[in-house]
Amino acid sequence: MWSFLSFLGLLLVTVVSAISTTGDRLLVILDDVADKASYSQFLGDLEGRGFTVAFETPKSESLSLFRLGERAYDHVVFLPTNSKGLGPNLTPALLLQFINQNGNILLALSASTPTPVSFVSLLAELDIQLPADRTALVVDHFNYDTASAADKHDVLLLPAPRPSRSDVKDFFGGSSTSLLAFPRGLGVTLGAGELLTSIVRAPRTAYSYNPKEASEAVGSDDLFAAGEQLALVSAFQARNSARFTIVGSAEMLQDAWFDAEVKTVAGATAKTDNREFAKRVSGWTFQELGVLRVNWIEHHLNEEGVANMSNPEIYRIKNDVTYSISLSEYAWSSWTAFAVPANDVLQLEFSMLSPFHRLPLVQDAAQSTAEAAVYTVSFTVPDQHGIFNFKVNYKRPFLSNVEEKNTVSVRHMAHDEWPRSYAISGAWPWISGIAATVAGWLAFCALWMYSAPTEKKKENKKTQ
Amino acid sequence: MTANSLEALASAGKGRSTRTLLRVVILCLIAGAAIASRLFSVIRFESIIHEFDPWFNFRATKYLVANGFYKFWDWFDDRTWHPLGRVTGGTLYPGLMVTSGVIYHALRTLTIPVDIRNICVLLAPAFSGLTAFAAYLLTNEMTTTDSASAGLLAALFMGITPGYISRSVAGSYDNEAIAIFLLVFTFYLWIKALKQGSMLWGALCALFYGYMVASWGGYAFITCLLPLHAFVLICMGRYSSRLYVAYCTWYALGTLASMQIPFVGFLPVKTSEHMPALGIFGFLQLVAFLSYVRSAIPGRQYQTFLWLFAGGTFAVALAGLVIATSAGIIAPWGGRFYSLWDTSYAKIHIPIIASVSEHQPTAWPAFFFDLNLLIWLFPAGVYLCFQNLADEHVFIVVYALFGSYFAGVMVRLMLTLTPVVCVAAALAISSVLDTYLVAKAPAPPQVHNAEDASEASVKKASKGGLKSTSKPVVGVYSYISKGVVVTAMTIYLLLFVLHCTWVTSNAYSSPSVVLASKMPDGSQHIIDDYREAYQWLRQNTREDAKIMSWWDYGYQIGGMADRPTLVDNNTWNNTHIATVGKAMSSREEVSYPIMRQHEVDYVLVVFGGLLGYSGDDINKFLWMVRIAEGIWPDEIKEREFFTPRGEYRVDGEATEAMKNSLMYKMSYYNYNALFPPGQAQDRVRGVRLPDVGPTLDTLEEAYTSENWIIRIYKVKDLDNLGRDHTSAAAFERGHKKKKATKKRGPRVLRVE
Repeated sequence: MWSFLSFLGLLLVTVVSAISTTGDRLLVILDDVADKASYSQFLGDLEGRGFTVAFETPKSESLSLFRLGERAYDHVVFLPTNSKGLGPNLTPALLLQFINQNGNILLALSASTPTPVSFVSLLAELDIQLPADRTALVVDHFNYDTASAADKHDVLLLPAPRPSRSDVKDFFGGSSTSLLAFPRGLGVTLGAGELLTSIVRAPRTAYSYNPKEASEAVGSDDLFAAGEQLALVSAFQARNSARFTIVGSAEMLQDAWFDAEVKTVAGATAKTDNREFAKRVSGWTFQELGVLRVNWIEHHLNEEGVANMSNPEIYRIKNDVTYSISLSEYAWSSWTAFAVPANDVLQLEFSMLSPFHRLPLVQDAAQSTAEAAVYTVSFTVPDQHGIFNFKVNYKRPFLSNVEEKNTVSVRHMAHDEWPRSYAISGAWPWISGIAATVAGWLAFCALWMYSAPTEKKKENKKTQ
Repeated sequence: MTANSLEALASAGKGRSTRTLLRVVILCLIAGAAIASRLFSVIRFESIIHEFDPWFNFRATKYLVANGFYKFWDWFDDRTWHPLGRVTGGTLYPGLMVTSGVIYHALRTLTIPVDIRNICVLLAPAFSGLTAFAAYLLTNEMTTTDSASAGLLAALFMGITPGYISRSVAGSYDNEAIAIFLLVFTFYLWIKALKQGSMLWGALCALFYGYMVASWGGYAFITCLLPLHAFVLICMGRYSSRLYVAYCTWYALGTLASMQIPFVGFLPVKTSEHMPALGIFGFLQLVAFLSYVRSAIPGRQYQTFLWLFAGGTFAVALAGLVIATSAGIIAPWGGRFYSLWDTSYAKIHIPIIASVSEHQPTAWPAFFFDLNLLIWLFPAGVYLCFQNLADEHVFIVVYALFGSYFAGVMVRLMLTLTPVVCVAAALAISSVLDTYLVAKAPAPPQVHNAEDASEASVKKASKGGLKSTSKPVVGVYSYISKGVVVTAMTIYLLLFVLHCTWVTSNAYSSPSVVLASKMPDGSQHIIDDYREAYQWLRQNTREDAKIMSWWDYGYQIGGMADRPTLVDNNTWNNTHIATVGKAMSSREEVSYPIMRQHEVDYVLVVFGGLLGYSGDDINKFLWMVRIAEGIWPDEIKEREFFTPRGEYRVDGEATEAMKNSLMYKMSYYNYNALFPPGQAQDRVRGVRLPDVGPTLDTLEEAYTSENWIIRIYKVKDLDNLGRDHTSAAAFERGHKKKKATKKRGPRVLRVE
């Protein structure tokens, strides 16, 4: 009943408004509200997907990310601004608080406008490094658009991004022939943290330099980064699954580069796939893609003749137990059954201090529906009493974090749960020994009582 | 007081039934006095469970009352020793809880609804009355005459001696509360069985021994003392069939009874502590066999036979014991046992045992403090036992020797010495009084057994000149000397009562959960920080929030705050305690993963610096360090907590390890804010603290009680952005992150 109600409620919510799972209030911050014309298609797409878009300038008095301690917006898009700082309403601490309260941020940088200081320190906290002078430019002499950047080579043409590992779901790649234009962008380098993932990496031949200082050549010492170390579009997903995306080139989101004609070095002409890519990047950032939901978790005793209660708080050692978890994934507008990528497994840990079991969860087709996939595993509780956790810790790039912990106690055998002594063959000698003693004692008593004492010896027998 | 009424009283005391009535009345009065003197704490404070262990017993009793006996028997406690849990039903002595449970249910059947807490609080005083009665019975077995004066005196001493009161004031709901009664009563039954050679009394002795085993780990004292007594008797050539019957009945039934307790289980046939009893049991069979053989074969052959047989058996038994011990069938002596022989053993090898103050060797003033007058009457009583050395007197002598030794090595074993001191002292005093209170000279062969000291003093002036008679009886017959001795004894006894009352009221009646202090105007001021903080935990944290604290407070947190703890006073798992010790004595970066792994939500420390409360965690800190060092000698070093000059300091001169330890930081966090700049003072250690207090990155202060005795910290979750806590906290404080992108050293590349 409850699940039906909540499902109904969910259905209602989906139909009525947002297509994002966390809300539809979107704030776009840009220097001049008039600038939004050049992003009209991008913003139009967002509105078309159900977001209510508000616009603010960084210095605006009315701008506040929070209202009464709660987030005033669910998502923020930062388009390049010329100002050096962002003012008191957008300090790094406030932006961090916004992320900590599950707000999502899409940050578009540009090589032509210096990055505000606020972002520099925010990105430093996320372990993302910007080029030292904040205005570096990424160029590639082998993959550029010959039509628009024949001299400067600063409009990169990139193939559709592919995940770096085979077990990561592909959210951003389009068709294999499509090209992305990355005009006059900024590359960043990412630290080693596992919360960071690059969506688009620069080609092996790209490098970053400062056009104002080093116009001729870049020495290896001055080089900020080159090749695949340069992340052009990168993603950060916090532990609470709030998302933060950096797009190195704001221009690639402009109308001019949506469906533009470009010409590769090889001479082929093609249409850019920027519009589709922008949709996917913003969709991922604003929790429309790759959002996992745990519908329910259930574990129960898997033994015959026992009351099969759901989610008991206590098990006994060596019990057989079944654990099931129902997972859904949100894709654009609806919840679908979550399928674990081909080379990946969803695992269950049964742990106390350290895992005693780490078992792959297998999809149970009988319980799964189109909206929810049920993963299940049966196992025997270890021969160790204690307070254990059923733990599912599924954290993958681009998928929101699943960290579920259900605590149960595992008790020892109660005094009446051991096999009876006569059921153990090793105990038979002892049991027969007891029987023999009892029989002997009774026989002795009988003998003693029915044998009349002889008259003579009566006085010198003294046993007590 | 007129002479007439005295005469009437004296003559009334002669009738047998009147005497019995008098004894009953006196015993009832003694029991009343014993109970009354234990009620100081209830009257001064309130009906509250005291100290540490009683809180666990109280919690267990509540569980028993709520869930019934079988649930209690199989109780797996998942709210202590997180995440290991404790098989509580199988690792406790259930006697105390079952006793209270039975009383509770009995009162309810009688439709007297008494709160289980009040039963627990008042159980110890109630049993002290029974103990006095048991002491009376035991002492009566020692006297050959019909006079009950020794017994009554022993009952009185047992009732009010501080050595016993220390563990049995109202609210001190601990195993000892009923165990001392059982100890004395078991001894009484043993003497009874031995004297009569009766299987019935032997079986009763075994029954109460079983009850004792169910109640207190100190039952091993009986397990060793009775065989020893039997052994001494055999060595003295006092083997008799009475001894055989009494001992074998007790051993066979008592061992079976003790093995029914899950916590004891197969220990009686497996551990060295129980081997003397088993050995003497076997030895008695041999002796019985030999005495049978002696009656069957002639003397000379018997001598040879005896020597060969005895030597052979001894060799075989010893070899068997050695082999069984080395093969691991019989467990070697435990650490607690070794510390009984070598008082510095525990300090070197098992810090967890040494860290308990009641396991320290006894200081000599403690004997006088706890036993007062009795301690110097005690040898006299033992000497009197030598005078007419019957089997039961041998028992008192053996008990006195061993009790004194054990009381000397461990403070808490003063408790097992107290009964024999009371018995021996009562024998001595009654002998003195019986001698000097006889008003008449022995010339008329009429024994005057006066009860009242005043009677002698009234009459002493009227008679004299007995010395000059030429009777062969020697002794002191002058009324003056009699009067002096009797008066002196009376004054001593009165002083003893005064001392007992004073000690009970001042030293042993503090619940230690609630502290009392005097205001400048002399009125009492209650410091209730413990309960305040535990109540805060109870009301403001999730029900399964795990609290990490040093093990001393584990039982209290479990009992008062009802929250799971990591370690408690049960101390069954040294490694787990060492883990907490390591978390407390390491840097935050080391402690935090430990706390995460153990799912700690809150950390509780006791800090006495503001109030001058010396039992705080900083003073206990070295024990944490030592216990942790025992497990991780490479990571925690006690030496690092001392300055190069060997001082244990907490001020500006403190060592780096000390300043960076979690315990130090938690104790002194924000403490500076309480004082004007530069004047922060620690009143326990009496030092001035550095101007800049410690910073905490991985914990945040959650609660500090009124007098800062209890401080509770919440363990922060992992940083949402994946930073370490130091940099996250630095960012919070507004420090800019240093740019680490200067091109020194090789470039760090990201690998995907």
